[in-house]
Amino acid sequence: MDNKRKDHPLVNTTEPNLLEETFNYDLPPLIKFDGPIVEYIDGKPVQFDPKSVLTKDIFITDTTFRDGQQARPPYSIEQMVKIYDMLARLGGPNGVIRQTEFFLYTKNDREALDQCRALGHKYPECTGWIRANKGDFRLVKEAGLKETGMLTSCSDFHIFKKMKFKNRQECLDAYCEVVAASFEAGIRPRCHLEDLTRADIDGFVLPFVERLMKMSEQVPEELSVKIRLCDTMGFGISYPGAELPRSIPKLIYKLNQECGVPGSRLEWHGHNDFHKVHVNGGTAWLYGCDAVNTTLFGVGERTGNPPLEGAVIEYISLKGDLCGIDTSMITEIARYMISIGMPIPENYPFVGKHFNTTRAGIHAGGLRQDEQIYNIFDTTKLLGRPPRVAITDKSGVDGIAIWVNEYFGLSGEDRISKIKVHKVAQWVMDQYEKDGRLSTITDEELEAKVKELMPDYYSKYKKSFQSV
Amino acid sequence: MDSIELKNRVKKVTAEVLELEESDIQDGANFASDLGASSLQSIRLVAGFEEEFDIEMDEDKALQIQTVSDAVTFINSYLK
Repeated sequence: MDNKRKDHPLVNTTEPNLLEETFNYDLPPLIKFDGPIVEYIDGKPVQFDPKSVLTKDIFITDTTFRDGQQARPPYSIEQMVKIYDMLARLGGPNGVIRQTEFFLYTKNDREALDQCRALGHKYPECTGWIRANKGDFRLVKEAGLKETGMLTSCSDFHIFKKMKFKNRQECLDAYCEVVAASFEAGIRPRCHLEDLTRADIDGFVLPFVERLMKMSEQVPEELSVKIRLCDTMGFGISYPGAELPRSIPKLIYKLNQECGVPGSRLEWHGHNDFHKVHVNGGTAWLYGCDAVNTTLFGVGERTGNPPLEGAVIEYISLKGDLCGIDTSMITEIARYMISIGMPIPENYPFVGKHFNTTRAGIHAGGLRQDEQIYNIFDTTKLLGRPPRVAITDKSGVDGIAIWVNEYFGLSGEDRISKIKVHKVAQWVMDQYEKDGRLSTITDEELEAKVKELMPDYYSKYKKSFQSV
Repeated sequence: MDSIELKNRVKKVTAEVLELEESDIQDGANFASDLGASSLQSIRLVAGFEEEFDIEMDEDKALQIQTVSDAVTFINSYLK
């Protein structure tokens, strides 16, 4: 056996190495690659270049109004218009959030679409979503849309058990008939390969996609079929070496390289049944699928979809630049969604009430000395969410000092020292040591105590306090 | 203020915060190891000294003071 042991001499230094090339606090930490990825496909090594995402036009698409809306009470038209407007502002002028999709079956659906388009945003582009049904193209055409998604489920579970086709040929022919109708109507079809990660890839999926590619040769490029890879049950796996049909790298390679579908016409759509949804989306970008389909805060069927805001942060980390994205909109959208009744768990990344709340006093001490120690990036600058502390008997005076300074909105030289908060700190300790309290001190309680015990500071610095 | 008055006032604050008798507080007593001051009580001591002498001390330096006599010296530097 080769001896892989190496010596690793200490690199002594009196100056800290804070790895700022990766952990530039002004951005989410960068995802950097130092070599190619190799995946063995059909027994042969295939190289992928992950650094290509730096220059490739990868982008995000949204299905908040479709998959997202299938998992919750319907949005009102006004809510959809507001959300659409905020998505446009979040994604920025470069169209990082490139498209969104709408149902077209009801009057409200169509009215919502019309009002969204009336805002005049270039992005996200509005597309439709219909059943694979020739008649439904009328709806798309009447709506004046140029592209529509349509279900072309591809696993035998769907072909035989759900749609009751006699055989695969009958199914394939039926789908292609609808695609042809789409071309005839001048509408670009986006074929959603539902349940792809449980399908017979060689036996049905690749022959079907090859046929779609052949059909697309007969039409202008702007009508060429797009393919949405639908990991309907969350079975997709990002791990190198995983087998088909679950392997995301192999699925994308087969469609992109063997069937010739350009990356710009491939879109990944995931579900979170096995907690893999976000990483699976990022994986799709790395292996040649340019679009990841997402919903706001991952709300979607069952366990949900790739979270849009997670994809936005991932995008910035991969690109190393904001690319016109307005990250503060992530917080604004979260506040709006909470205001219309969408529950967001308190520990949900980037938007939960306590996503950057430190509870342990020893961590609060570190946070007070340099917030980078326990904060993932400059959440104040990028999300309008300064790091917070949750106050218990474990928080220490450092924790309470951080809470008070954040409450008063003080920074830099204006920050109050921990000496000045000692009365509040003593009250907190008494809650636990004298009164036997077990629960966390709420923001409302602390606010009342600060008002009572630090009246001079309260009257000088009090401004409105928002916990999310 | 003379040094005896200063020392007595330091001991008065110390006794209040740590709930001790002034007579039990020796000049060289260590706030933590001899007098049992917790980290919160150490902060309350600094706050108490600031209030008693109407001064504003450097937080980090104040919290490094370990004994009663060192506190007297440190506070005296703010009174000159």
